Amino acid sequence: MIFQKVKGVFIDGKKDMCKKNPLKEYLSPKNVYIPLIQRACKLEPQVQVGDEVKIGQVVATNEQQMNVRVHASVSGKVTAIKKVWHSSGKMVDAIEIENNYQNQLAETIKENKNVDSLTRQELIEKMELAGITGLGGAGFPTHIKYKTKAKIDTVIINAVECEPYLTCDYHFITTYPEKLLKGATYFMRAANAQKVVIAYKIYNKQIREAMQPFLAKYPHVELFPIKNVYPAGWEKYIVEQVTKKTYNGLPAEAGVIVNNSATAITYCDAVEMNIPLIARPISITGEGIKNPGSFYVPIGTKVSELIEQCGGYINELDPLKYNYIAGGPMTGRAILIDELIVNDTLGAVIVKPIVEGLHPECLGCGKCADVCPVHLTPTEIKKAFERKDIKLLGDLNANKCVECGLCSYICPSHVEITEAVAKGKDLLRKGVK
Amino acid sequence: MARFAGGKAPFLRASDEKDYGTKVMMLDFIIALVPVILFAWYKNGIQVYIDGNINFLEMLYPLFFILIGGLLSTLMEGIFFYVTDKENRSFKDIKEKLSISFAPIPGLILALLLPLYTPIWVLIFAAFIATIIGKMIFGGFGHNIFNPALLGYAVVGFTLMGVINNAGGLFNASEVIVDSYAGATPLGALASSGQINYDVLVAPYGSLWDFFLGTIPGALGETSVLAILFGGLYLTIRKVIKWYTPVVYVGTVFILSWIIGALSGDAGLWFPAYSVFSGGVMFAAVFMATEPVTTPTNILGKVFFALFLGVFTVLFRFVGSLPEGVGTSLIFMNIFTLPIDKFTGVIRTKRFSKPGGLYFGILTGLLVVLAVYTLVKAGNMYTVCIPFLGWVI
Repeated sequence: MIFQKVKGVFIDGKKDMCKKNPLKEYLSPKNVYIPLIQRACKLEPQVQVGDEVKIGQVVATNEQQMNVRVHASVSGKVTAIKKVWHSSGKMVDAIEIENNYQNQLAETIKENKNVDSLTRQELIEKMELAGITGLGGAGFPTHIKYKTKAKIDTVIINAVECEPYLTCDYHFITTYPEKLLKGATYFMRAANAQKVVIAYKIYNKQIREAMQPFLAKYPHVELFPIKNVYPAGWEKYIVEQVTKKTYNGLPAEAGVIVNNSATAITYCDAVEMNIPLIARPISITGEGIKNPGSFYVPIGTKVSELIEQCGGYINELDPLKYNYIAGGPMTGRAILIDELIVNDTLGAVIVKPIVEGLHPECLGCGKCADVCPVHLTPTEIKKAFERKDIKLLGDLNANKCVECGLCSYICPSHVEITEAVAKGKDLLRKGVK
Repeated sequence: MARFAGGKAPFLRASDEKDYGTKVMMLDFIIALVPVILFAWYKNGIQVYIDGNINFLEMLYPLFFILIGGLLSTLMEGIFFYVTDKENRSFKDIKEKLSISFAPIPGLILALLLPLYTPIWVLIFAAFIATIIGKMIFGGFGHNIFNPALLGYAVVGFTLMGVINNAGGLFNASEVIVDSYAGATPLGALASSGQINYDVLVAPYGSLWDFFLGTIPGALGETSVLAILFGGLYLTIRKVIKWYTPVVYVGTVFILSWIIGALSGDAGLWFPAYSVFSGGVMFAAVFMATEPVTTPTNILGKVFFALFLGVFTVLFRFVGSLPEGVGTSLIFMNIFTLPIDKFTGVIRTKRFSKPGGLYFGILTGLLVVLAVYTLVKAGNMYTVCIPFLGWVI
């Protein structure tokens, strides 16, 4: 009763508005903008303005930190390096490539004949060369996960997509079910694991149906239904549900590596065709979009072009009464100017009306503490932050907050409590240094 | 290109829906009071009217008395908003502020805590203490330290009890007319007789069934366990309160009273039941110990709060000289809401490692010491000090 397990909270998914339309491919935008930033790493451009680039050519790297690289997603001419709006909410430098619509492929992109004989080392090297990062939202370079020294017995593919509104993973999986199974198998071989578990939401029967015909060929794959709650797509929640084990730092402690389903599909292409991470699925949805849908687009595409593909905004849209959200509605960021570009972590753009209302003060009902997936006490962290009491913040484990947004979601008084806890977390991090 | 509104994640809020939010919770709170109000009206008005002892207007009086309480606190908060905010004085502004201040609740609860025939000016005074001193001075809804209604009740109880008594306030309408009781509430009977004896404590009022139904003397809202249970059930189903706060509180009072009864020679279950059903234990358990603003926030804090509250209620009731003990213990515990919140917050995260274990030790240690002290004192009191007890009170 007191130290109960996290049940999660049912949130109305609102996914139907996007789900009804199939995944559309939009592979030839006019210009793409490859951001020169990967998580917190700044990238060094490897091309000059005026260079001709081909699809899959390395355009920027950072070999000091985590050895990440990004690739050109269209063929054409590098026209400028300029600032663009990025899903982190800041303006970042990006390489502008003008599409020449000839789809020239780099020499490295060719079919691999020897996929079955690749060793673990080679498989991890392929992740590194293809610049595969987690497409779920964190954008962590995948090869770092697989270079672990821990003994891995299970690879979990996260196909849960617990954030409301988002359907890009759902569409991507149901369009390429066999690629997912193949990619998952390569992941399993890269980790020397014995089995793969694909975790999906229980109501998404279509995911199971799409994979059913291929399952006989992949006996090591197990489908694992997960309850329809938020945050069911959180790494730790899935690991706890699937393995009944828990961990403190990384899932590798429990002998598990978790990857997003879209990452697995991208990795399948990287192993079989040497295609690096140059495209990703994205949902354009929300009440403010005329005809919401999911797209498979090159990285660096302007979101405004995708919104045009959706028929644009609804007619009576007053931008100042709407949020333009990069990412899911629970953890995303409000972007002020609608000039966003698609980067590797952007799973959705949501245009959603703001509900205005008069809200009372915090009444201390404690619902935020009840729903917290890491058993924190948000109200106390907020008070400690307001007093700048760093020791108490440490005692309250403010650094453990995963910023899932549930405390603000559930708050009956509309208190911005997630924001306060996140600030407390920052203060603790700075204070300890 | 368009400029969009800013904001912070999450962009989806449960409180954006019409059927969820603090307003709905507080409305539920008032709805939960309805069975209690209706029973108070039935017992003090309708029943007596059917018996033919009062006229029609007198029948409506109990209902009016309770509603006047709610009206008074609303009015006072409105005046307070008018006086303190010189810029926004229009009717619309004040109405807006009142809509997120939930003004009628303290007044309604206050009226339910007072006995019938309390003079209206006493009610006005109590409502002033409750709303202005207890709530608005602290900063309004969400900032008050003491339960406003309880503060008003306590101040009136300590200062003007004589006035209420003189006006016939300890009786209920039916009792005044029937005049069959010794003129005291069940707990008054315990305080004046000092004996744990079924014939003295329960028999004059009928049986424990009457205690459960609420046809015994007492304040307007607190007598009927049944009506309160209905309210509590509704609040629990609507997820406004957690079921364990009332259960732990009532359970603590029940078990401690049972041990006290056993220590003084009567281990029957009637005594703890009597102890729980009489006075304001049930009413406080459902409507005041669960009041979100003035009680701890997290689950563990609520449990500790309820445990302490139970021990203090028994301590004040059987060891102290107060016949009631519920209100005093609640006001006393309200003070400790903030430290309990802090301690239990740390216990939740650190479990039993360094500061968490220390805080847990402090809380449980205090609890055990208090409980043992209460039992020893109360047990002695009723076995050794019976001859002196009547004289002391």
